[in-house]
Amino acid sequence: MLEQERVLAASPLARAAGVQVGMRRGGVLMLMPEARLVERDLALEAEAQHAVAMALLQYTPLVAQGEESTLLLDVGASLRLFGGVKSLCRQMRANLRTLGFSGALSCAPTARGAWMLARAHGRQARHGRVVKMPSLVRRLDRLPSALVPPARPFAAWFEGIGCFNLGDMRRLPRPGLQRRCGRSLLDMLDAAYGMTPELFEWIEAPTTFHAKLELFDRVEHADALLYAAQRLLLQLTGWLCARQLAVERITFYLEHERGKVARAPTLVDIALAEATWRDEHLVRLLKERLAKLELEAPVIGLALEALQVQPMAPPSESLFPEPGGSEEDRVRMFELLVARLGPENVLQAAPFADYRPDLANGWVPVHHVLRASKQAAQLPDDIHFFPRPAWLLSKPIALLMRNHRPFYGSPLKMATTPERIEAGWWNAMQTRDYFIAQGQDHALYWVYRERILGSHADRDPRWFLHGLFA
Amino acid sequence: MISPLNHPAPESLHPSLWRASQLAHASARCVDTGHPTLSSQLPGGGWPTGTLIDLLLQQPGIGELRLLRPALAAAASRRIVLLQPPHAPQALALAALGLPPSQLVWLRTTRSADTLWAAEQVLRSGSCGALLMWQNHARSESLRRLHLAAQCGETLFFMFRPLASAQDASPSPLRLSLRPAAGGLDIGFVKRRGPQRDAPLFLPLSLPLTHSLLPQHHAPLDRPLSVPVTARGVLPELVQ
Repeated sequence: MLEQERVLAASPLARAAGVQVGMRRGGVLMLMPEARLVERDLALEAEAQHAVAMALLQYTPLVAQGEESTLLLDVGASLRLFGGVKSLCRQMRANLRTLGFSGALSCAPTARGAWMLARAHGRQARHGRVVKMPSLVRRLDRLPSALVPPARPFAAWFEGIGCFNLGDMRRLPRPGLQRRCGRSLLDMLDAAYGMTPELFEWIEAPTTFHAKLELFDRVEHADALLYAAQRLLLQLTGWLCARQLAVERITFYLEHERGKVARAPTLVDIALAEATWRDEHLVRLLKERLAKLELEAPVIGLALEALQVQPMAPPSESLFPEPGGSEEDRVRMFELLVARLGPENVLQAAPFADYRPDLANGWVPVHHVLRASKQAAQLPDDIHFFPRPAWLLSKPIALLMRNHRPFYGSPLKMATTPERIEAGWWNAMQTRDYFIAQGQDHALYWVYRERILGSHADRDPRWFLHGLFA
Repeated sequence: MISPLNHPAPESLHPSLWRASQLAHASARCVDTGHPTLSSQLPGGGWPTGTLIDLLLQQPGIGELRLLRPALAAAASRRIVLLQPPHAPQALALAALGLPPSQLVWLRTTRSADTLWAAEQVLRSGSCGALLMWQNHARSESLRRLHLAAQCGETLFFMFRPLASAQDASPSPLRLSLRPAAGGLDIGFVKRRGPQRDAPLFLPLSLPLTHSLLPQHHAPLDRPLSVPVTARGVLPELVQ
């Protein structure tokens, strides 16, 4: 990466080839002709930092921007909730990885101290965690003096007088140091050592959420978008936690490449029955939706918008968890099943008061709200009076006749007197005599004889199999 | 010769040990089958929850739901999921078995992978009372996966498979074969934690038929016609 024609940062591969910070463009291209040179883009950098800040808002509402692309978080009140310093650092690092960034993480009793440790140690995480004040003082004393930004113009002078680290710098007389290097150096040192209080401007979460992402490559398979979408969802989680909201409906916009004609972005709308603020459920729903989606054109960008939010519901107050999961769990399970199988395949029973068995057996998608009283009215008073088979064939099977008896695997013997069902003159007339028949294998079948009316009354009766008693 | 007094009974050493001649203790909570003769033959005295129970059917519709009726009615305080049943289930018939229509969920899938996925989601969520699943071909690793998923919760999990699958190995600790018999079911114990039993157990499971539907085996008689009731008329009893 270049800034003003000088190398600012280089990948490990480039560093192995001999590229160093401060080189010119020509030098780099001589060492590594295939190198990809990128100009530094401050706007993009600010956007990335904002994305990280949004995601980290889920751990604490106190997030501030520091110098030299750092973020300062006050986690004093969050340690117990997230299981201590180590676990918190692990979760934050995992989040950074999900967002696609790498970072140096350190923690200390003072914000400025943590900032210095992070700048000094880089990614060696174990060196960057200090909990007690005396150990912080010891660690800070050993850091090089050029680490503090206001001291950098005077680096040569400090080296000349043998002041190599911060410990040496603290031993210099304060009035002289202030006269030579200015007030800001002393302020920064005092803040790091915890001698003056620190004041920050905390980042405020915006009132509406909208995040977008440009993909590195053209994506042609919807599945591959999940990783990028997770980065957006992570930001959404942070924003929801900061504003104490739960989301009911979110929309993903999949932006397509602009070819000869502009193409409107594809929408993926996810509506939830129960508002949530954790991203695991959203990720699972999105995964199923993306698996079903077929892209018309390659996707180059992704945007996420939270359309409907509501205040976060307080956690359940019952002392003991309900056995077998809560109502919420069940609603989530059904949402997940609907997302993959489709609403027409996740059904609940809605019996309908009709004499014809195939019409009485109604099933509707599970998200339809049925009123219990209305449903009870559709059931007959005495459901035991007329036996019905548990399995109903979707299309009755015409039975063969042998020796004037219906035959299905073996000759069927009628076990009951007929039950006459004759209804539906208003749309689909059915005139049937239903019997319970038994085969030679002792299985019970529900068969019917079509009653023939009118001029064909002298024809042989036709028998059909309509159900199985399970 | 070692005297039996020096050796404690295996079941007193560890709860998961048992002699080959006796039934094992149940490790999971068991739901009573509702049929005392069957319950006495099962380890734990009922259907174990959170376990894959393999039921091998000769064909669908031989009385398998009547066999499960008491256990399902006990589990009907929560949803009962029917996953990929062989035919459309009829809510009225299930209501007559004691399963209210509001608790029934019917899942239809087109691919076998979807069926297994849906079963796993239902089992892992643990918010349903029972899962009944029909599958013709299942590989042993997917069965093991489902058995593990079932152990997450206390869902009753029955898997219905054709009788031919009895030859294949299965991780399920309880496998029963069901064949129709006159007036009931013949239950064969393919696998259980207990002594091997070769003779099938006959369980009477007849349909609860009302008297009016049963055939009358006598010659038809001339019966007096009941007098039609007219509005505001005299009571028919008084007329006769």
